Amino acid sequence: MNFPADRVHRRLQRRHGRSGLPSGQKFYRIALAGNPNSGKTSVFNALTGQHQHIGNYPGVTVEKKSGIVQVDDNIVEFIDLPGTYSLSAYSLEEVVSRDFVLNEKPDVVIDILDSTNLERHLYLLLQFQELGVPIVGALNMTDEVEAKGVMIDSEQLSSILGIPFVKTIGSTGAGIERLLEVALKVAEGQLSSQKRHLNYGKQVELAHEAIIDALMLDESFKERYSLHWIAIKLLEKDRDAIRKIENEHRLAAIVLQAAKDWRERLEKEFDEDCEVIIGEQRYAYIHGAIKETVKIAKRRQVVDFTESIDRIVLNRFLGIPVFLGIMFVIYQITFKLGNPLSDGVSIVFTHLSLFLTRILPAGPLRELLTNGIINGVGGVLTFLPLVVLLFLGLSFLEDTGYLARAAFVMDKFFHIFGLHGRSFIPFMISTGCAVPGIMSARVLANQKDRKVTILVSPLMMCGAKAPVVAMLVAAFFPEHATLIFWNIWLFGWLMAFVMALIFKQSLFRGAQTPFVMELPPYRLPTVKNVFIHMWEKSSEYIKKAGTVILAASIIVWFLLSYPKVPTRTSDLSAENVPAIEYSFGGQLGKMAEPVLRWAGFDWKIGISLIAGVAAKEVIISTLGILYGIEAQLSSDQLHVDFMVKNEIKNDQQYSPLIAIALMVFIMIYIPCIATLAMVKKELGSWKWPLFQVGYTLLVAFIIAVGIYQIGGLLGLGG
Amino acid sequence: MSAEITECRVVQLSEIESGKSFRVVRINASGEIRRRLLDIGFIKNEPGRVIREALLKDPIEIEIKGTKVSLRRSEARLIDAEELD
Repeated sequence: MNFPADRVHRRLQRRHGRSGLPSGQKFYRIALAGNPNSGKTSVFNALTGQHQHIGNYPGVTVEKKSGIVQVDDNIVEFIDLPGTYSLSAYSLEEVVSRDFVLNEKPDVVIDILDSTNLERHLYLLLQFQELGVPIVGALNMTDEVEAKGVMIDSEQLSSILGIPFVKTIGSTGAGIERLLEVALKVAEGQLSSQKRHLNYGKQVELAHEAIIDALMLDESFKERYSLHWIAIKLLEKDRDAIRKIENEHRLAAIVLQAAKDWRERLEKEFDEDCEVIIGEQRYAYIHGAIKETVKIAKRRQVVDFTESIDRIVLNRFLGIPVFLGIMFVIYQITFKLGNPLSDGVSIVFTHLSLFLTRILPAGPLRELLTNGIINGVGGVLTFLPLVVLLFLGLSFLEDTGYLARAAFVMDKFFHIFGLHGRSFIPFMISTGCAVPGIMSARVLANQKDRKVTILVSPLMMCGAKAPVVAMLVAAFFPEHATLIFWNIWLFGWLMAFVMALIFKQSLFRGAQTPFVMELPPYRLPTVKNVFIHMWEKSSEYIKKAGTVILAASIIVWFLLSYPKVPTRTSDLSAENVPAIEYSFGGQLGKMAEPVLRWAGFDWKIGISLIAGVAAKEVIISTLGILYGIEAQLSSDQLHVDFMVKNEIKNDQQYSPLIAIALMVFIMIYIPCIATLAMVKKELGSWKWPLFQVGYTLLVAFIIAVGIYQIGGLLGLGG
Repeated sequence: MSAEITECRVVQLSEIESGKSFRVVRINASGEIRRRLLDIGFIKNEPGRVIREALLKDPIEIEIKGTKVSLRRSEARLIDAEELD
């Protein structure tokens, strides 16, 4: 095996030389743990460089990043655990982290700590130590803490906690080399990292020992878990630990009874819940350790930049305007810069397709290649500039620490609809395009909030629906075009909020998830980290979403192209009938006419709406084809627009009332295929995009029928 | 212990004005929210400060254990605190 080595490792290699034979290679697994905002990502990037692999933890949608590199003669796999504050059983991320350590037993866990806030960060480290795994602590952001005139005696801290500590600066890479060296020494057993647990005080320790005694009754259970950890978790009434006992301990009843008795005893003594007692003891222990190791050398007056910025950014009255301004900039960068690039990609593929049409003989193969595959690949790649630019903006928001502020500023309003303040970001991005919009829903840490947001985001007016709505408005309401258009735009937002509220009250009912979150100090992101983040997300989009979008667009193309017009027909009029009418999609559109009539739609609209599932802007060109507008001109979008507008305006079948019903229908009904593929990718199952197809179709139909029927009764039908 | 607390004015954290300091007395909740508050540092006798509130007086920003955290007012209502001068 030959793994490319990063700069840090090359330096290490130079120092140690390449001794030993390749057969002497050892394989180590090192997990990276840490609170959010501890600088864990930059340490991970410094350790693994470009060699990162993104996947999921088995069976869940929690993202798992890992990277394999060669260090000296060792192969080391780094696994980035989710950033959490604690290791309780309340969140998926926390359960994933601790189960990874318990089941996979990595050789070492490196815990990254923000040195400027040791107390809070040691709280997590000690919980990892309790899991019974060797720990190395990285005292990160050492530069910041020293600038404040605070000295941390890392030797003393090491001897109190029994864990090696290394000072690092993640953003510059300082100390990372040493951190790796120490971690490998611990992995090799040359340096000790004690697996003991912290002292919870006399009474708790007594209970703890007694529960361990009960746990010892099952020999095989003892092998599997750190009994210290299980005993503490049982005192905390941790539901996951209780489940482990129920399923895996031979004498579960005895153990659980002992845990219950001791809990009750402690609760009586302390007049407090056990979970609280243990949390408080943990903090008390840390407080003691810090008192002995952290010295304020000379108190330096440091300007609190974070507070100065927050005075403006979080100001009661300025907060929302500042937020909208920042969103405006991100939106403009994504779409104003991205759309011309997308168009460029699209033109390249159109030309490629034309070129192949010229050189290949006509037939199903040529059609599959040009209209099916090349169109599909082009469809995937046109979104790429948007995805890249969006993640440039988002990683900037996230890395600076502003994202948490965005939620602070917007939360009240969004909470009314059961959403989180951060839902604004995917909503806003979706008004440009739902594909990057749905990706941006990752800013929501809570899975319920994220699902609801993803389900309703495609209801926004996106860049593809806009020209269709604009065309209809221009055709039927030439005098109030702008007003009607913006009302339809707002209607998209309204629907998103209403549907979110409905979903929160029905499908996603249940206990409120806490909003409590840290507002981290502002920090300047490093160019390297922003680019690694962008690269990851873009390649992920191509690999995961791209393939699904491609497959889906080929299927839709097939349904709209086959079966072909029968060739041997001698009927002249049949020759003038567009091929699409004969296709499966066309037949479906015609079949649906009796139902669509309730909303005032005819079969032409039916077929166009079906074609629109491929991409919403296709609705116009499909109508064009059905009206017999010359296909060659379809490259000239403005011309097609104009012609279609005139055709439907003069078509006696339609009225302004039908136009309204149609616009509303287009806003709500089935998201485009690329969006559905993205939803599948983000939520990990076809269940959600299929549900989305169902509910949007139903709601769109009900509202469109309502408008047409009630409008008709009120005499607006003429 | 309880006698000592009754001496001071114990209120819900949500009632403490911006700019005022406080000391945590207890959390009146259970389950996930209690654990979150505990983990983030709302433990007995911990001092803190209310920094500011958002436009509609909700959420609020609080400094505790050297970090700024944001809480919904409904969550702050679950914390008993005594105001410090």
